[in-house]
Parts: sequence; structure tokens; C-alpha cells
Amino acid sequence: MPPIPFCLARTLRGGAVVATLLTLVAACSPPARRVSSPPLLGAAVALTGNASAIGQDQRIGLDLAAATIGPAGPGRRLPISLAVEDAGTDEQSASQAFRTLIGRDALAIIGPSLSQQAFAADPVADRAGVPVIGPSNTARGIPEIGPFVLRVSAPVSQVAPLSIARALRNDPGLQRVAVFYAQDDAYSTSETAIFQKALTDRRLKPVSVQRHQFSDTDFQTQVTAVLPLNPQLVVISAGPVDGGNLVRQLRTLGYRGQIVAGNAMNSPNIFPICQQQCDGLLIAQAYSPALAGEANRRFVAAYRQKLGNDTPPQFTAQAYTAAQVAAEALRRLDARRPVRGRPLAEVRRELNSEILAGRYDTPLGPLRFTPDGEVIQEQFGVARVRMEADGRRGRFELLD
Amino acid sequence: MDVLLQILVNGLSVGAVYALFALGYTLVFSVLGVINFAHGALFTLGAYLTYLGVGGAVGSNGALAGWALPLALPFPVALLLAGVGCAGANLLVEAVAFRPLRRRHAEPLLYLITSLGAGVVLVNLLQIAFGAEGYALPADALGDLPPMLTLAGARLRSVQLLLLLVCAAVMTVLTLWLERSRGGRALQAVSEDATTARLLGIDSDAMVRLSFALSGLLAGLSGGLVGLSVSIAGPYFGIVYGLKGLGVLVLGGLGSVPGALLGGLVVGLAEAAVPGDLSGLKDAVAFAFLFAILLLRPQGLLGRAPITKV
Repeated sequence: MPPIPFCLARTLRGGAVVATLLTLVAACSPPARRVSSPPLLGAAVALTGNASAIGQDQRIGLDLAAATIGPAGPGRRLPISLAVEDAGTDEQSASQAFRTLIGRDALAIIGPSLSQQAFAADPVADRAGVPVIGPSNTARGIPEIGPFVLRVSAPVSQVAPLSIARALRNDPGLQRVAVFYAQDDAYSTSETAIFQKALTDRRLKPVSVQRHQFSDTDFQTQVTAVLPLNPQLVVISAGPVDGGNLVRQLRTLGYRGQIVAGNAMNSPNIFPICQQQCDGLLIAQAYSPALAGEANRRFVAAYRQKLGNDTPPQFTAQAYTAAQVAAEALRRLDARRPVRGRPLAEVRRELNSEILAGRYDTPLGPLRFTPDGEVIQEQFGVARVRMEADGRRGRFELLD
Repeated sequence: MDVLLQILVNGLSVGAVYALFALGYTLVFSVLGVINFAHGALFTLGAYLTYLGVGGAVGSNGALAGWALPLALPFPVALLLAGVGCAGANLLVEAVAFRPLRRRHAEPLLYLITSLGAGVVLVNLLQIAFGAEGYALPADALGDLPPMLTLAGARLRSVQLLLLLVCAAVMTVLTLWLERSRGGRALQAVSEDATTARLLGIDSDAMVRLSFALSGLLAGLSGGLVGLSVSIAGPYFGIVYGLKGLGVLVLGGLGSVPGALLGGLVVGLAEAAVPGDLSGLKDAVAFAFLFAILLLRPQGLLGRAPITKV
């Protein structure tokens, strides 16, 4: 055998050293992360801050899901645990809560509460390959954030126009419409665009478009600017607290016409704010406790058992549904091939595909998803708020 | 003309709230030279206490779910008691967040952190107790008063008029007390020079406690009134007013009582002058206005320019 040239020998020796080092590094590096036992689902909702009225409702839905869907039982071989993190009301807190849950090896994340937060936090999960199920993110463009982003909250484009149609049926002659929306909130700006398009489609041009901020509570300036224009219909895209205040001040300052409120005001949290003056509000609903179906009946019963005779709000139902969807898909996956102990990244990827492929019987009615994560929901309604004489309690009376 | 009058009415009613709020900041600042960042939380506490006082029940999300006082007090009584409760709470803030630092002659920046911490703790305690949902005082809290008044074509909610009147009354009483009473003059002496005041036999510590109690009382009163006017938008709603009040304090002139009044009204009017369809930008306009005034008068509208030794 001819002698190996010196330079080649040096290269070979160097290669051997590098290969040995790489082997050592590989041997010393931590093993790929694996699915814990029991598998963990995460939720990040607004438990503090201005949107906490929404997040607290969602927390109740998640707790109900954890108690009724989480444990193993008949037809549910795999126990699932659920961890809830506070996503605050701002984008940074939501992103941080997502990172915490990803670090805790959550297989999927339910949240955040606001569309505004979703545009910041969802890309964090999407980049990490963790499925996100938006429970209340209705703004345009949410599923388009990435392949791991889904939502169970029907987009405003499907829900919002229904209440405009109903207002027109109530008063076919109406012509003068005033629009109010929170300009610093992605959901409100998205919804008002849909509302205004629905108005334009019906040849109704708003006589005034008033903007406010999500944290505002005093609407004297906007209301007194609008009332001299004699609107016959007011259309509001706002949260439960700012929207409730706006309704209250509109009525107190003398407005007597119809009011159409957006999806975020589909919550009993508006009742203590606008009290008797909530009466008559028209709201298109993605959820109603009165919806037919066994899943909704079971959900309403579980809610009442936990919280008394109140009816569950939409945000509670949607959060429960998100947890149900994730749990059902995970159990189907587990039935085909047990997930515990398998590489985390692989199971997250498979879970995403499984959620997208499934059909679900939920409190919101039958649900499925488009390939890009948009929810396909069949049942919507329009409700009218009916307040009791004491002005403290109310209900959503389903009209359509 | 109607439009101008409406702007004036809107501006004065909002400005009165800001003025009342900033006055609470001013009292503590004038004595200690530091800002109590827990003031916004006390404002919120005042709103919740007033709500409980008039017989309001806690909603379903808080630890006190469903709880209510066994009696419903008339609104003025509930408001006054809420003010007294907040005065007590602010004395507690002083004992916990200010006094230990004062004894150690700590840097003013540290007061900012400790008072902010006290405020955050208080807000979170409120959220635990009452939940995050909003509350509104009963619509009939003002008795037979009509909900809306019309003044030469301008629309005004009765509660806003009440706010204006209470603000004017509080301002008058406070000014008279500060100028004419022994206690008020002692407080002014301490705010001028605590050491000299002590040499003159004035109990400086007692005056500091008095300023905190008065400041808490004002926070409670303004919180209760705003709660009646625009509802209690959850435990965080004092934060927005806190920021605005801070701007008003600087605009009027740090430590100046008439300055707080003038600053509040100026900011209120600046906000009200923003056209309705641009009112989402009213904060930006108000603060831009504040910025412009401070460029011209760094000491604020009624503040004293610092005297530099040459």
C-alpha cells in the first residue's frame, strides 16, 4: 500500500477529529422532546387587562372542558391535561404566554382572546409548529397567519351582515345609519368594514362614522356629534365594556332608534353596563344557548351546574369548543397510534392535520375546517336583548 | 353656535373629572415632591365602594360572587363613605409604600416604583374580589333627576352636570381650607419647607398623612362620580384616568391647586374640540397640545419657574 501523502493524512486526521466531536456533541445533546403523560393542551386568554371580561368568560369554558372532557372515561381512553396562562390584553403578554406554553410542551394552544393579540402571538406558535385554535379571533386574515393557525370563531364576514339584514326587515324604510367602532382594535376595524360593506350593498350610506379607542368609556363627544344627524340605525363594533357604555350614553342622550351591536357584545357582560338601556339591541350570534343539539344541551347543563341558572356566554362556549376540538382530534390520533412518549414535534404536526380533517359536534353546532384552518359553521342566529324590569338581568332572545 | 356650546359643555364635563383627579396627585406632590402612582387604583377602589354602597352585587367571576351589602344607601352617602374608605386606603399606601422610604431619605424614583407596586397590588385584589366584568351604578341613583338636560341646544347628561358642580364645590372648599384654615396653612408651610415647618412646631408627618388622606378622599369621590357617569369598566379603568391626570398635573404646574383645575379644563376642552369622527385620536391631540404648551411654559400654566442661583 503506497504511503498516504502528508497533506491527505492531515485532512483525514482532521476529519476524524471533527467526526468524533460531532458524535460526542450528538451523544451529549438532549434527546428530542417527547409528549408528556398525560399530554398537555395549553390555553392563553386575557385574564387581566381591559379584555379580561372576555378572558374570564373563556376561563370558565376552559375549566368546564378540563373537568368534563379532560379526564379519561367511557370512550375517552387518553387523559388530557389543560394549562391556562394569562395572555393579558396586549400583544407582548400574549406572545410571552404562548412561548411559556410551548416551553411546557403543550401540543396545541387555545387563544388568545383578541384578534389584535393573535396577529402577534400566533406567528410564534406557527414558527414552532404548534397548532393554535383561536376561540374568539374573528378578524379577517387570522387563518392566513400560517398553516398551524385555526379558529373556531366564525369570521365577522359571515356573522355581522345578518343583524343588518334583520334591522332592515324591522324597518324597511330606514336610510340614515351611524357607525361607531374602536379604531385601535383589529376585531372592531375588521367588523366595521364588513358592516359598512353590508350597508353599502343595501344602498345605505352612513351619515357618520365615529371612531373611539377600546379603553374609552366616555362617548359624549361622539354621541352629541351624531344625534343632530337624526340616525335611524346605529351600528357598533366594540368590546362589551366600551360598547355597553356607548349604548347607555346613546339612549341617555335621547337616541331612540334601532342599534345593531357586533359580535364582541354578544355577552351578558354588557347587561350590568347598559342595564335597562340594553333592551332591544340586535346582535348576530355565532352561539346561542337556545341552539338545538345534544352537545349544546350537555354544555348548557354543565355550565348551569357550575354557575347556577345563568345562560352561558358566547366566549365561554367558543373556548369550550376549542378545547373539545383539540381533545377529540388528539384522542383520534392516539387511538391510531399512542402519542405518549413520541417526539413532540411529530405529534404536534400530526395533531394539526387531524384537527383540520375532523368533524365535530359542538355547542356551536356541527363544525369542520377548510384546509387553511378557517372554521365552517352552519348555525348562526340573530338575537334581540331583552332586559328584565329591574334592569339587572337580561337574555338574548333568538329571532332568526 | 350650538356646536361650540356643545364642545364647551363636553369639554368642561370631561375636564372636571381630570381636574378632580389631578388635584389628588397635586396634594401629595406639593408636600412630598413625589407622585403617588397608586392614585389611579384608589380612584378605581372609590368606584367599586360606591357601587357596593348603593346596593350593587358582585358579578359571577369574582371571589365575592353574588355578594352585596344588606342595605342600599342613597348615592351621596355611598359616595362620601367611598371617599372616606379611599382616604383610609391611601393612608395605608403611605404607611407601606412611602413612609419607610422617607425615613431612609430615598431617591424620588424609588417612590415611583413602590407606589406603582401598591397600585398594581390593589388593582389585582379588586380583580380577585370583583372579577373582571364591568359594573354600572343603578340608573335611578340620582333619584328623580332627568337623565338628560338640554342647555340652549346642547345636550348634557345630568350626571355630568353633577360632576361639574361637585368639582367646583370641592375646589372651592379645598382652596378656602388651604388659604384660611390653620391646618391648610400648616400644610402649605410643610410643602414650602418641611424642616423649617418642623422648627415652627408643625408636625410634618401628620401633615403628610393629612395630604394622603385628602388625596385618597378626592380619588374616591372622583372614582364614584365617574363610575356613575360612565360605569366601572373593570378593575383597570383607573389607569387611563391616571395617565391623563398626570398630564393635567404637569400642564397645570406641578403642585399648583388652581393649576390642576385649569389643566383639567384645558385638556378636557382640547379633547372635546377634536371632531367626533376623529375622536379616536383625541388622546394624541390632547397630549400634542400639552407638549406644545410645555415648550412655551416648561413650568406649566400656573407653575412657578425654578429660581436658579447664579
